[in-house]
Amino acid sequence: MGSSNHPSITKESARAILLIDFPHLQSAHCESGVAANLLSHKGIAFSEAMAFGVGGGLFFGYLPFIRINGLPLVTYRSAAGHILKRIGRIPGVGIYQKTFRDKGQAMAELDAALDQSIPVGLQTGVYWLPYFPKALRFHFNAHNLVVYGKDGDEYLISDPVFPGPVRCPAEDLIRARFASGALAPKGKMYYLTQVPDQLQRRPLIVDGITVVCKNMLDSHFPLIGVKGIQFMAGRLEKWPERLGRERADLHLGHVVRMQEEIGTGGGGFRFMYAAFLQESANELQDTPLAEAASMLTAAGDSWREFAVMAARICKNRTQPQDSYVAMAEQIRECGALEERFFRKLEQWLKQQS
Amino acid sequence: MGQLNEIPESDITGAVKVVSYVANKNGNQELVQGSMWSPVDVVNHQAWLEIDKHIGASKKKVAAGRVSCLHYYMTANQMDTSLLASYTRQPRWLVCLHLFPFFFRRLGAKSLKKYGEVFKVSPDDLRHGILKPPVYNQRECEGDSVD
Repeated sequence: MGSSNHPSITKESARAILLIDFPHLQSAHCESGVAANLLSHKGIAFSEAMAFGVGGGLFFGYLPFIRINGLPLVTYRSAAGHILKRIGRIPGVGIYQKTFRDKGQAMAELDAALDQSIPVGLQTGVYWLPYFPKALRFHFNAHNLVVYGKDGDEYLISDPVFPGPVRCPAEDLIRARFASGALAPKGKMYYLTQVPDQLQRRPLIVDGITVVCKNMLDSHFPLIGVKGIQFMAGRLEKWPERLGRERADLHLGHVVRMQEEIGTGGGGFRFMYAAFLQESANELQDTPLAEAASMLTAAGDSWREFAVMAARICKNRTQPQDSYVAMAEQIRECGALEERFFRKLEQWLKQQS
Repeated sequence: MGQLNEIPESDITGAVKVVSYVANKNGNQELVQGSMWSPVDVVNHQAWLEIDKHIGASKKKVAAGRVSCLHYYMTANQMDTSLLASYTRQPRWLVCLHLFPFFFRRLGAKSLKKYGEVFKVSPDDLRHGILKPPVYNQRECEGDSVD
């Protein structure tokens, strides 16, 4: 588990330190981590996995017409902002959201909120955050973090993927808030305005699962959901002949990065969703959900087997059984496992209504 | 989860410990703190090799005088012309034009300042074609900070 840190409320006018008591809990995924931490700050105990599940975070999409550095977009999660949007729709939860055109105004409003002791969530670009590890500084603009204090010219930040709170100079934070390119944050900030006294978890869990099931099984679009997995397998098989070996390896590495790099919790978010199902199973005393969770863990393991094979190919350490055909077969296996898993979830949903 | 025999080339997160979900003996997923899964190091390394390759090619082009040093800064900061255009609030064609040494040499102080701010280098560095490291490498490579 991540270390939790409870800074005490201090307001020293001399050094202009402003600290809000904010529970920083490290998580695997930034958006669900921020959602969970903000809710916990308001007194509602909410785990990251629960936020991910209730927010309907699981997804699959292979969208080759959208390019990231010239490589096709592969996503294992729903669009950025989707989880927070769904959390904001929970009955009784109020969320204030704003984007800005003017940098000065954006920072002034952030400071004003901090002055009222409100921890503020921000969408930022990763490239400009100085505390980020060098190896992860790409132009990725949908990173979420919480600002919970200010010390002179530095902001105190609870970045959910980091073990402890971090600091960021104002100048860099401005850059990060106004990063350009795909998914540009436009200075987006948000905070919770109200939360209900009592949270009915069952309807939230059922709703979250319904959305994910619908996206993964019922899409008419062949590039998303379980069909998308099969589609990607077909494409991946032909990469070496279509693109040449070098480009094919780059494409492959890109898929694995989207699946396993920071923020996914491993196995393309599958393990995180399994954690959500297990938590829900405990909460609702429901064994079929626990069974579904172990099915999804198996699917996640299957994704990881693919990643291991892909990494060997990218590193030119192939073993006799490694090939693009074999990897495509492995991905088809993942697709089949997930289809079985989602059919089971669908059945479970029918019993709920 | 699947155990690996491969040794990571380097831990990409540096000293930062990240958390990921790992199933325990009973199959329950738990958040476990540690370094990132080693195949991730391999593919991350691959992505950086590709970036380095582009930077190397760009440096050669700049040295040969085929493109302006703006091309190097753009490549080193993982940008393309459209991203750089949106950061500097200019039309893309103008940025494309500035990649030619002929037009770049004739740039005014205002435009140079604009580019310098994005890449965190001084207008003089740009004017004299000094190739400084990309933003994420600047802190260690220089003693004193740039504007």
